[in-house]
Amino acid sequence: MITKLENGRIYDPINKINGKIKDLFIKNGKIIDRPKRNEKISKIINLKTKIIMAGGIDIHSHIAGGKVNLARLLLPEEHRKHLYSSSNILRSGSGLGTCSSFHIGYKYAKLGYTAVFEPAVLPSNARSAIIEMSDIPLIDKGTYTVLSNDDFLLKLIQKKSNQKKINDYVAWIIQSTKSLGIKIVNPGGINAFKFNQRELDLDEKNKKYNITPRSILKVLTKSLIDLKAPHPIHVHGCNLGIPGNVKTTLKQINAVEGKPMHLTHIQYHSYNNEGDKKFSSGAGILAEKINKNKNITCDVGQIMFAQTVTASADTMSQYRNHHFAHPKKWICADIECDAGCGIVPFEYQDKNFVHSLQWAIGLELFLLIKDPWRIYLTTDHPNGAAFTAYPKLIKLLMDRSFRNNEFAKINKQAQKSSVLSNLKREYNLYDIAILTRAGPAKVLGLKNTGHLGVGANANITIYSEIEDKEKMFENPYMVIKDGEIVVKNGKIQKVLNGKFYTAQVDYDKNIEKEINIYFEEYLGRNFENFKIQNQELWDHGIETENIECDRNDY
Amino acid sequence: MKNINFTCPFCSLLCDDIQLTVNNNNFKQLNSNCPILAHSLKKKIKDQFACINGKKNNITKAITSLSSLLKKSKATLFAGMGTDIKGTKATLKIADKFKCIIDHFSGDSYVKNIKSIQEEGGFFLTLSELKNRSDTIIIIQLSNEELPRLFEKYIFSKKTINNLKKRNLVFIGNKVPQFIYKNKKKFNFDHIKLNSINLLNFISSLRNSIKSDISEIKEKKILSLLKLFKQTNYGSILWSIKELDNNISDLIVTEINLLIQDLNKFTRFAGLSIAGSEHITTVNEVMLWQTGFPIRTSFEQGFPVHDINQFSTKRLIDKKEIELVIWINSFNEKKIIINQKIKTVLIGIPSHPQKKDVDIFIPVGTPGLDHNSHLLRIDKVVSLPLKKIRNISLPSVDYVLNKAGEI
Repeated sequence: MITKLENGRIYDPINKINGKIKDLFIKNGKIIDRPKRNEKISKIINLKTKIIMAGGIDIHSHIAGGKVNLARLLLPEEHRKHLYSSSNILRSGSGLGTCSSFHIGYKYAKLGYTAVFEPAVLPSNARSAIIEMSDIPLIDKGTYTVLSNDDFLLKLIQKKSNQKKINDYVAWIIQSTKSLGIKIVNPGGINAFKFNQRELDLDEKNKKYNITPRSILKVLTKSLIDLKAPHPIHVHGCNLGIPGNVKTTLKQINAVEGKPMHLTHIQYHSYNNEGDKKFSSGAGILAEKINKNKNITCDVGQIMFAQTVTASADTMSQYRNHHFAHPKKWICADIECDAGCGIVPFEYQDKNFVHSLQWAIGLELFLLIKDPWRIYLTTDHPNGAAFTAYPKLIKLLMDRSFRNNEFAKINKQAQKSSVLSNLKREYNLYDIAILTRAGPAKVLGLKNTGHLGVGANANITIYSEIEDKEKMFENPYMVIKDGEIVVKNGKIQKVLNGKFYTAQVDYDKNIEKEINIYFEEYLGRNFENFKIQNQELWDHGIETENIECDRNDY
Repeated sequence: MKNINFTCPFCSLLCDDIQLTVNNNNFKQLNSNCPILAHSLKKKIKDQFACINGKKNNITKAITSLSSLLKKSKATLFAGMGTDIKGTKATLKIADKFKCIIDHFSGDSYVKNIKSIQEEGGFFLTLSELKNRSDTIIIIQLSNEELPRLFEKYIFSKKTINNLKKRNLVFIGNKVPQFIYKNKKKFNFDHIKLNSINLLNFISSLRNSIKSDISEIKEKKILSLLKLFKQTNYGSILWSIKELDNNISDLIVTEINLLIQDLNKFTRFAGLSIAGSEHITTVNEVMLWQTGFPIRTSFEQGFPVHDINQFSTKRLIDKKEIELVIWINSFNEKKIIINQKIKTVLIGIPSHPQKKDVDIFIPVGTPGLDHNSHLLRIDKVVSLPLKKIRNISLPSVDYVLNKAGEI
């Protein structure tokens, strides 16, 4: 069956199409050039006046895993505020920031997103996190496994093991946990917190292993390059949320010496400590640094004013921030010699100086980092805000007068501390398509999605062109997933499962001997059971799509 | 006869170091003395008939009867819920469709933990953190009935990442259980003798004393614990909610959680609740991710409504607020409540002694014996794959419920 989408205005940055009116043809879930002479077009959809983009890709959103479930457990009152009834095709559910699984899929699809990546899966929690994700319909998914605080790796680094051995371990972890990449979280810091260290800067030593975050960052960055992994190292750096941490973030960029690195939720790592309140924006200096260092990509982790919940593997930072919990309750956990997690509910208020400035810093970063191919739109869902805030965030980027009106509402002192109102830049639709589709696809090494070229999966979002960009992006006219119409006029038409992206990587099997001993002696588990088998995923209806480790642009 | 590696599904430790000999669907453990495993493996499957009104019938007819009861019932409770991830998913699917309520065998005690977390949160740890880091372990009213090998695997073991020498072990409770008493020389051991009622006051006093000047503290037991806390690098507190006085267990757990929060102001401490019989951890986690709420959630209004008191199995049966109760237990023969005025279905193992006392009995296999499965360990983090090792054709809970939902 062939479907023709005709007369739509296309924004497809990977194929350098900027607002051209062009027909698209879909066959068997893929985009084709055009039907052969003898092939019949079964369906024609006229999209005159409509805008067409590839389905959105969220590079960093906490949608599953133990930490999300702990947040759900902690906050029944938040779930009671957002209740969803079942229907003939939809399941019931609840919640917003920690929305229940089916509704994460429904909500993302209704926003025009077709792929979302869970960025913080602990090795020991990978299996159940992936099974949980099999209950998130309508979107493709993938994970990054958290390393950098696991005792096995820290011991390897302490013993000055060679890079090849570390690469074998990293590859073994990727393969065993079925992930697309590796995330660093507060390198060495979560482990150090287990030894009662409360902060760990880039060049401070972890008490137990006597190694620095810098050394961990360097070996893991190199490892992903050596492995030709689809996505470079994904880094949640040291000192999250601490005033003055932008200096550490700058040092981290220097530490990787020009090698590719993705810095995540940089808003939380862009704070200076100037002024009366010893809290100020470091967005300008960080943006300048990122502009100069073409090896760096980032996502922002924008905050929006509302009640939310922060959920992170960074136990050290979350414990430090638990005093700000709203409501006054929080959970932390030390987890399985891997890392940890911390859940702190949070209400960002526009009358609060710090929150207001955090909001402004995020937007400053969006506007001061010049290359849209190296910055991606995230709220670090749910940490900065639920992903449902994306349409408003897009409007803030596209509409300066709206932005300045919103800026005028925030804490006055924060207004004085921010250059935001002077920034004239407005994103256009082509830029937004880069920020939310093309850029993430490129940095994740996904060749068959994020664009509308021949051979791409037919993941397509069609918007009605509306002056108010928040309205335009919150209610796409139509969403097509793998060639099927799944959303029309804001209503879900059909529920289907997305794919699960995993990286295919080889390693020297010798590493397994050492890992086996470690599992047996210290973890009290059989290491063979740690390795997730494809059959297990298939049993839960998960269709995997393997991404080869053959990246040649590092 | 052959030997196989086995991951045990019979408690929430999910020991995967078990070796069994297999001989024509009979199993014998080779390297474990676990009484739960031994008892579970002894059970013989003599017949695998379904029953309708106490009379033998075939499984297909029993599933059809279950389906018609489900369609007729205006208020249905899924109780027991001794099942795995897939079984819970299938239950939730049917509960959503037929607007049912879900509780678990261990609901009465487990909700006390839930309530405490919902009110105050907590600081927790997983089993390998307990094994490798904890130089001080405080045990509150814990027996080894629920997780027989917990101490052997995670507390008595000598090899640790932190190279721990002699750990401090303090038992707080009425009587030191034999399995701890016999091993006390392995530790710097102390026993603080208290009953459950005094426990609440004791932990509150302990918590208050942390903030006090140590020279002003007269109570010896508290003083010795405070001194121990000061020397501790990484401590843990373990409690068994079932062993605490059920009237005040939520308050005790909250005091423990607050104590752990206070201790973390100067050293490191974390807690672990030992509560996981019939895999409530697995059921609760799946419920949380699929619905946003833990056990004791109703779908009668078309969306999830969670209430830890209203949706208690005992209360719903006693008050006859339900018309149909569907008990699920694919692990053991735990007794179920039967009320003659409420239609009762049991989806259970073939040897269940009450199978002829219920309106419909549907035999099912055990996850990890009769079909592949996934279960979550007690600490909620680690999940394990379990593999079919027995060749008798018993359906799984998810097969039965999915079929019943399709008819």
